[in-house]
Amino acid sequence: MKNNILKKAFSKNSLTIYFVVAIYAVLSVMLYGDLASRQLTNMIISVSCYIVLAVSLNLVVGLLGELSLGHAGFMSVGLFSGCLFSMWTVNLLPMVVRLPLAMIFGGIFAAIIGFVVGLPALRLKGDYLAIVTLACGEIVKNVITNLEVTGGALGLTTTRPETYIYSKPKDLLPYAAVLVLITVVVMMNIKKSKHGRAIMAIRDNRIAAEATGINVTYYKLIVFVLAAFFAGAAGVLYGHSFANIKPATFNYNMSIEILVIVVLGGMGSINGSIIAAIALRALPEALREFSDYRMLAYSILLIAIMLLNSNEKFTEFKSRFTLKEFAKKFSSKKKDQKEAEENE
Amino acid sequence: MKNFKKISTLLLAVLMIASCVVLSSCGNEKKADDVLVIGGVGPLTGDYANYGNSVKNGAEIAVAEINAAGGINGFTIRLDFQDSAGVPDSAVAAYGKLMDDDMMVSLGGVLSGETASIVAAAKDDGILILTPSASADDALKGNDAAFRVCFSDSSQGVSAANYIGANNLPKKVAVFYQNDIDYSSGLYKAFEDTADANGIEIVVVESFTSDTDTDFTTQITAIQNSGAEMIFMPIYADEASTFLSQANGKFAEDMLFFGCDGLDGIIGKVADTADCENVLLLTPFAADAEAENVQKFVTAYKNAHNDAIPDQFAADGYDAIYAIKAAMEKANITVEDQDNFNSRIVAAMTEITVNGVTGNMTWEASGETAKDPIVMIIKSGVAQLYNP
Amino acid sequence: MILFFQTLISGLSLGSIYALIALGYTMVYGIAKMLNFAHGDVIMIGAYSVIVAVMQMNMPPILAIFVSIAFCALLGVIIEFLAYKPLRKAPSLAVLITAIGVSYFLQNIAQLIFGTQQKFFPKIISLPSVTLGTIEISGITLATLAVTAIIMIVLTLFINKTKVGKAMRAVSEDKEAAELMGISTNRTISVTFAIGSALAAVASIFYGATYTYIKPTTGSMPGIKAFTAAVFGGIGSIPGAMLGGILLGIIEQFSKAYVSTTMSDAIVFAVLVIVLVVKPTGLLGKKISEKV
Repeated sequence: MKNNILKKAFSKNSLTIYFVVAIYAVLSVMLYGDLASRQLTNMIISVSCYIVLAVSLNLVVGLLGELSLGHAGFMSVGLFSGCLFSMWTVNLLPMVVRLPLAMIFGGIFAAIIGFVVGLPALRLKGDYLAIVTLACGEIVKNVITNLEVTGGALGLTTTRPETYIYSKPKDLLPYAAVLVLITVVVMMNIKKSKHGRAIMAIRDNRIAAEATGINVTYYKLIVFVLAAFFAGAAGVLYGHSFANIKPATFNYNMSIEILVIVVLGGMGSINGSIIAAIALRALPEALREFSDYRMLAYSILLIAIMLLNSNEKFTEFKSRFTLKEFAKKFSSKKKDQKEAEENE
Repeated sequence: MKNFKKISTLLLAVLMIASCVVLSSCGNEKKADDVLVIGGVGPLTGDYANYGNSVKNGAEIAVAEINAAGGINGFTIRLDFQDSAGVPDSAVAAYGKLMDDDMMVSLGGVLSGETASIVAAAKDDGILILTPSASADDALKGNDAAFRVCFSDSSQGVSAANYIGANNLPKKVAVFYQNDIDYSSGLYKAFEDTADANGIEIVVVESFTSDTDTDFTTQITAIQNSGAEMIFMPIYADEASTFLSQANGKFAEDMLFFGCDGLDGIIGKVADTADCENVLLLTPFAADAEAENVQKFVTAYKNAHNDAIPDQFAADGYDAIYAIKAAMEKANITVEDQDNFNSRIVAAMTEITVNGVTGNMTWEASGETAKDPIVMIIKSGVAQLYNP
Repeated sequence: MILFFQTLISGLSLGSIYALIALGYTMVYGIAKMLNFAHGDVIMIGAYSVIVAVMQMNMPPILAIFVSIAFCALLGVIIEFLAYKPLRKAPSLAVLITAIGVSYFLQNIAQLIFGTQQKFFPKIISLPSVTLGTIEISGITLATLAVTAIIMIVLTLFINKTKVGKAMRAVSEDKEAAELMGISTNRTISVTFAIGSALAAVASIFYGATYTYIKPTTGSMPGIKAFTAAVFGGIGSIPGAMLGGILLGIIEQFSKAYVSTTMSDAIVFAVLVIVLVVKPTGLLGKKISEKV
């Protein structure tokens, strides 16, 4: 019995949760204790959004195995609808109710678009689906740019006195932490559940999966809807952390950036997505010392990382240092200790 | 595939730790007392890189001039200009880095969106923000310490309509604007709102986006068919040069092209100066102006940058530094006496008058500048003052 | 009616440029089975190389064109060797990300060398325009169309008839079987990249001649549009790329002229989505039969 609990406590999944909790615990200590640099402070919320975006895109790319180049479009839909909701209710609800509601509202809007984008996914695959997702992202961008209610090309200004929803990183951190945690828990549970196995079965062999009675239509749609929901919720958070948001920001380049994080972090790996999101967002900031050569250095590093990752010898060497291996060693050590204690 | 799928974390973790170390370690060295750190943020890479680099180059020339002449009240200026790639997260993080590095005066951002976010993030810092080029009406909202060198978009759109209304210019106007950037849309909206009052008839409105900014043939055809006698084009010089080169020969010879400060430097950008014949510019800065300070700036800029002609962005960057100098002198801030630096320099902003290359400027408490634009017309490849 | 023909002509002009770029895209995709996201940026480099050759080294235009084509072909081979070859066994997404990295790299290196201000492309091709009734067709449009058609035919013949072309098809079908038949996969893919990048250089010349201005980010949007065009026509199919490119250009100009200039991109992409949903492998794409 005791062993079971221990096993559970150090299983790979709960480890990820500890990892996330630890990151945010450290961050809050730094942030509220005024120990964090301003640069770090100003990055926390957007990096959190990228974590959610990457983890949710991983559901589509890693688990379902479909290439999606329109994730920024879902984020954009969620952002504008959620932020508008937040602006309309700013005088009615306190932030602690308003922001989560806005996230749900934005998430649902994004999920609807996700459903629409998911429909072609039933017929298309591979590069054809990729181009359709890219097209949907661009359509979303184009439509929002032409909407009066979102401010058009001028974008949404969150700092107008009558609709002031802009918040500082210190105020947003708890929401960011909870959002990341919920996303990670949901994704982990899906991956572990029979639904997750069904989705992966579709990825590995659609026809065989269909033959075993898996409802491919249902699962493909649910994956797109869920991924879009979380992307939308992340968008709402993102929108609250900037004074002005323009629809043009959420173009295919941003979708590609999220995809880079997912691929770099490893297909289907939630830990990987989290770490890659942090690393890839921090990298250009860390490279500021290179001034003019900053983005050049970034591109070279990106290529180098991809090449290294695919090098067999390096992968083998690296696999000895994974979180999982570490956890295994750690838990077995603990187990030994505990057992030894019990024996005494 | 299996190896790849099992991608683990060592390399990334090392990268992450390294970046965290870099992020937290820099900025710990204390700067010398007699250095005035001015920080700027703008797109130095990516789609909007030309604007960011222009501002940076213009500001650098002013810094070099001031430092060579002995600095300001004993201070030497150090300009620290950071890249935002045009993305708000990067801009705000860059502002954070500058604050970590003891920035004393901020040039805000180059683009309006990033500036708005910097202005909001800086609210409690009290630091003076003087943005050279963020022109969107809302860019300075919510921060009393934020000012700008350029006009706001709406004031420019309105003054364009007023100028056309008050002078003997054609009243049948076509509008050609960029629909997905704030500068162009902001100007167009303000222009449209005041067009009627000035007796201007907008016969056709054509637009483009940054994704469709290479081929303007359909727009040109539509304007041809509309019977417009003048085209109001509140766009930037890059897109305008593409438009003008495709429009060359398509319109009647007396067709006028009316642009605002975004068109500055157009003569230096077009492949063939015949393309920009009859371009009218409502602008506070013209590189061809004869004023002594303008010529000094243009010469210095050309020498430093391969004979490139400075545009509006560069001129705004240059003037921003001189405005900071004037405010420092007005507030009488010296190396020995720099207590309450922020409040003193912010208070001085509304009291100074700066005779810059973009005109004679004073500032209101709202952050807006008051200066008079001039109208230039390009004839045979030379810009000259326009006499209606 | 005049407007209709004017729009059709401008659509052909834009579409022929897309088609020319899409040919290189689809060629590399068809053989190497990878989306070369850096293709648009090779076009940008090609345009800059013409600018340097003509304006700074004072080469005659014809020579400059050949220098640019040779330079891009070499660049393509180098990129392939350094960035893509080590990933031969890696999943296709890894190669895609590397291609994106190469794209960033080319943009940033161009910015460092040539600066951020736009440069103009020398007028190396001047062709008289043709007038049909009231409609004027520019010489460059006709030349682009002709060159695109010629390249399409030559490419099709090359791939179907020559030994190297056959080797390419073999590599595309099954790399391992091709190796066993004595075909060097590496060399074949290198040749593919050389040809694809040389096509990019050709595209850059017509792009520059039509649109005059070149910036470090010039390649990215045509690159995406050409990718779209290639998928539209059925990616991997050479006639499909030409058809897709021209249709895309025509749809874009018609939606600008008749619907809305602000929504033209949304309309183009919406048409694309509809076509793909009806015909999931593009207009001329091969049907993929699924193995069980």
